Amino acid sequence: MTTTLSFEAEVARLIVEALHLETPPEAIDPEAPLFGEGLGLDSIDALEIALAVSRRYGFQLRSDDERNHRIFASLRALAAHIEAHRSA
Amino acid sequence: MPGLPLTSRGLEEVVFHRGAAPVTVARFLAEVAALAARLPDEGPVLNFCADRYLALLGFAAALSRGHVTLLSADRTPLRLAEIAQGHGARYALSDVAAVLPLPVLRPDAMPGEAAPNPLIPADAIAVIAFTSGSTGEPQPHAKPWGALVAGARGAAETFGVTGGTSVLGTVPAQHMYGFETTVMLPLQGAGAGHAGDVFYPQDIAAALAALPAPRLLVTTPLQLRALLRSEVAMPALAGIVSATAPLSDALATEAEAAWGAPVREIYGATEAGSIASRRTLEGPGWTPYPGMTFAIGEDSASVTVPGLPAPVPLSDRLVRDGEGRFRLEGRLADMVKVAGKRASLAGLTRILTGIDGVEDGAFVAPDDLDANPQARLAAAVVAPGLSAEAIVAALREQVEPAFLPRPVVMLPALPRDAVGKVSRNAIAALAWRR
Repeated sequence: MTTTLSFEAEVARLIVEALHLETPPEAIDPEAPLFGEGLGLDSIDALEIALAVSRRYGFQLRSDDERNHRIFASLRALAAHIEAHRSA
Repeated sequence: MPGLPLTSRGLEEVVFHRGAAPVTVARFLAEVAALAARLPDEGPVLNFCADRYLALLGFAAALSRGHVTLLSADRTPLRLAEIAQGHGARYALSDVAAVLPLPVLRPDAMPGEAAPNPLIPADAIAVIAFTSGSTGEPQPHAKPWGALVAGARGAAETFGVTGGTSVLGTVPAQHMYGFETTVMLPLQGAGAGHAGDVFYPQDIAAALAALPAPRLLVTTPLQLRALLRSEVAMPALAGIVSATAPLSDALATEAEAAWGAPVREIYGATEAGSIASRRTLEGPGWTPYPGMTFAIGEDSASVTVPGLPAPVPLSDRLVRDGEGRFRLEGRLADMVKVAGKRASLAGLTRILTGIDGVEDGAFVAPDDLDANPQARLAAAVVAPGLSAEAIVAALREQVEPAFLPRPVVMLPALPRDAVGKVSRNAIAALAWRR
């Protein structure tokens, strides 16, 4: 990780790379919803993000987590969740 | 018309695991009667419970009252409201908050007085399932009770499910495949369902570990792949069932090696239900479910399903394989399936070219669409004043996320061949050159 790259930007890049999105990482609005409106991601993408997160940051996302909807609510929320739980 | 009991299981058998508590058939019947007494006078009912046991309870209570259950795999509020309105739903059953233009009841699992096992006429419409068409209105498919019962018994026989088998599903109860294998199977076949909503690899592994052996995992190629890649520790499995998309030999080999259990696939469609199965590693031949009759022609195929009034056309090309089996030789060109949902490329293209500012356009499917669980459609678009992002935003209002194009290729004109036909191969080359 370079020091000039914020963690949010790193997660944005992870999402764009894992999902082969058209949107450049810096164009993802950190406050916009990732699913439905906003980026328009779906359940295939949720699994793909979970895999990419477990590979890079060493922990598994779970859906019985009450906060799941909040975690995927936006790039900012997802990045904060990863930062709080990462083991790698 | 003869009646078939709500459940074929013995009163002391376990029909579901809900949290730590196994639910016996006797308890289930009491809960069905208690809920049935609380239901409004008239159906149909829109049932979109996330908890699989509550989905079953709501379905069974409604059925015992003669109410048709509307099942939509797409649980977005817009689609639910559309179905409720278009099909005259009088009330909804759900355990998740929802704002709909009709009363929404929460089905509680409350123990009640011992209750009988009601008889349901075999020709009564029990369920209307909807295919998630991208081409407009969701298409309804009516399922008589007798056809659902026959399907559940066929599944129990095909997959060798015994009474004590725990059945964990990762597919929503409202998807036809999920409904047949995780709701109808315990009700009318064998095994005990798992109530919780599981999705991520970690959820699946934890839920399986909490269930008694033998364990059957009912899932999709996408989730199988995620489970294998995530390398979460799995408990011993008795079998794996996969459906919604073809499973590659490579994934099936990996899964059998990792978990030491047979991987079987179901071939089916919302219109027909489950109609055939195979063990992936035993070869490409599919064995029809009991009672299915296939009519196989050069460019079309259909299946006659016990209990359904008319043969159901299939969107794949079938070839007979001897010994009553058949092989799948690809889909009929226009129909594509992404994330278990089907759409017509022509229909998607119509939506695309209907967008203001789009002069011309075409959706194309990649060559590996059926083999790669992550594959997406692409679109080529001629729209001088619009950006690719604006086009995706406009499509998002009318098309499910699964079918949104990745990538969108902006062009000054669509590539056409000598006779003026849009060249699918030229677009594919531009879209997937990376």
